[in-house]
Amino acid sequence: MTDMLLQQLLNCITLGSIYALIALGFSLLFGMLNIIHFSHGDVSLLSPFLALGAVQALGTALGAAPGGMSFFLILVGAIVLTGVIGLLLDALVIQRFRDAPVMMALVATVALGIVLRELIRHLFPNGSNPHSFPRFITGTLDVFGFPVPIFNAAVILVSILSVGGLFLLLNRTRLGLQIRAVSHDREAARLMSINPSRIFRVTFFIASAIGAIGGLFFSSYASVVRFDFSVEVGLIGFSAAVVGGLGSMPGAIVGSLLIAVLDTFVQAVVPHGASYRLVFVFSLVIGILIFRPSGLFGKTIVEKV
Amino acid sequence: MAASNHIETAAAGAGTGAVGIALVIAVELIGAAFLRQFLLVEDWRIIVGMLGVFCAALYVLQSRPALENRIAEAFSEHRRLATLLGAVIVLMFPFVLEQSTYALHLCVLSLLYATLALALNFQLGSANIPNFATGASYGIGAYASALLAVNLGVSFWLALPVAGLVATIFGFLLGLPSMRTRESYLALVTIAFGVVVHQLLNNLEFTGGPNGLVGIPAPELFGHNFASPLVVFGYSLPSQANFYYLSALLVLIAILFADRLHNSRVGLAWNALRADELAARCQGINTTWYKVLAFAVDAFLAGFAGTIYAFYVGFISPDNFTFLVSVTIMTMVIAGGMDNILGVIVGAVLLTLLPEKLRAFSDYRILFFGVTVIAFLMIRPQGIFPQRLRRYGG
Repeated sequence: MTDMLLQQLLNCITLGSIYALIALGFSLLFGMLNIIHFSHGDVSLLSPFLALGAVQALGTALGAAPGGMSFFLILVGAIVLTGVIGLLLDALVIQRFRDAPVMMALVATVALGIVLRELIRHLFPNGSNPHSFPRFITGTLDVFGFPVPIFNAAVILVSILSVGGLFLLLNRTRLGLQIRAVSHDREAARLMSINPSRIFRVTFFIASAIGAIGGLFFSSYASVVRFDFSVEVGLIGFSAAVVGGLGSMPGAIVGSLLIAVLDTFVQAVVPHGASYRLVFVFSLVIGILIFRPSGLFGKTIVEKV
Repeated sequence: MAASNHIETAAAGAGTGAVGIALVIAVELIGAAFLRQFLLVEDWRIIVGMLGVFCAALYVLQSRPALENRIAEAFSEHRRLATLLGAVIVLMFPFVLEQSTYALHLCVLSLLYATLALALNFQLGSANIPNFATGASYGIGAYASALLAVNLGVSFWLALPVAGLVATIFGFLLGLPSMRTRESYLALVTIAFGVVVHQLLNNLEFTGGPNGLVGIPAPELFGHNFASPLVVFGYSLPSQANFYYLSALLVLIAILFADRLHNSRVGLAWNALRADELAARCQGINTTWYKVLAFAVDAFLAGFAGTIYAFYVGFISPDNFTFLVSVTIMTMVIAGGMDNILGVIVGAVLLTLLPEKLRAFSDYRILFFGVTVIAFLMIRPQGIFPQRLRRYGG
């Protein structure tokens, strides 16, 4: 019984960590820089396809599937490439809606998400079908007599490192100071000789790369990936960021864990829970936003006339 | 001297009057002819060519605002003529479609989407409230009426108002969180609502699960079954024509509704909300009430459209009412022109026909749709027909 409970708890935290990696990007873009980017989920889930494509291409080129170190390098490459794609999307499309009404950016990025998904479907071999994705780290650790798969431990560790790194970056470095300056007042930042466009691009790279890590972990955790998984992942990531309070990094993590706990709990306890899980998750989102309109850790907006 | 001046201006006025009348007639007839051709044409090269012509026309309007203003002026001067001619064109349209059931079907869909887009326009256009749940209200209306008809044998004419009412109640419920949340947060609440509704429809027993509901009977009016061909003066139209006139009537009601609301205190209050919510509140506008009202009105019209859709197709499933449907409706409003009734309708017709007419690219049409939307928002961000300043008095 205790083992079962611990197992569920571990799954919760793992899933929560994966959602948090996606939610962080939303929080960074929406909350800090006030950019509406609804296709962040789709950008994040590009990475497993990039990795799979590279593995297949290398496999045919070398005659054997790459393993070990080279596989790890492919993953890193996929993460960096996804970051670059996020940056390019900003330069090509999203940038133009920066000063437009919010609704324009909303619809444009939703459409951008559709385009990304369709591109995967058409450009990837057999893009409409699900593709199995390997669990790239195997083996178990023994923690006080309780077996913990190294994969889960790695997911949790990487998430903690990403969050910590992001926190340090934002609060301890010159770049972080610049990002915060731009998020406060773009014009004033420009007067301090900060180039806001450069800051936007850097932030897009960071958000997309962290999202890409989340995308890789997600497909590996589910051991399968399909072009339209990004809809649900994106919505849940966005929900987690909003529930936690946009712009708040701890909020994004708490929101993700909350959603993951409910998700796992519903699947374990409620009859037919697997098909009703989204109903519960999004009811929770609505419920929290009714009582805390700016999320759990969001700043209360004070308006001045 | 003064008298001759007066006569000159009067003559000039009469001259522009005649030009105005000609302009109104030409614009409406060319528009109708273009739409008819677009509906009937099959060759994808001609379709792409026609789209090119449409884009060129938009480009001309964009680069010559004087021409755009002239047309708009002519329409507002000869309002009665424009309305009358428009009504005649809508009434006669099914007769020029060469008995093509597919073209008529597309017309019905366009009209239903026009209603949905007008419904969303109350929120998005007038009050700038993001609502990603119009598709859900549409679904609630469709399911409510279909369940009544299939399980209890309720007729279409009774199911219609009941479904509208049910959708409105849900709209009110959805409006409640809107009292406190705003912008991205509010957008998420509506998205979440849409997902919850879709998932419930997909999983509950009595809604038929993913298979949906089948066997919804066609409506009857004065002994005339809507599934049978419509005979007018010995000329037989396909059965779709029944629903064409029904949904045209619905769009007409929606237009009247929208026009009356736009010119009333309610419309003004919504516009004030859009301009500055805080300032509106300081002027004594009950912002909460007007926000919730916008949700209810949207849901009411969407419920009506859903009912007609359910009885028209005779079969509904949860996949007809997904998040993507809401996004499409939203795109129609934005691409057409926010808070501009005509623009919203044109946007709805265009975006309904576009994916259907691009079937030649079968697999690629969703991709094409996405690219078109983005390109459109980048090239003409104010929409096909931009929102106009309010005019008062004469």
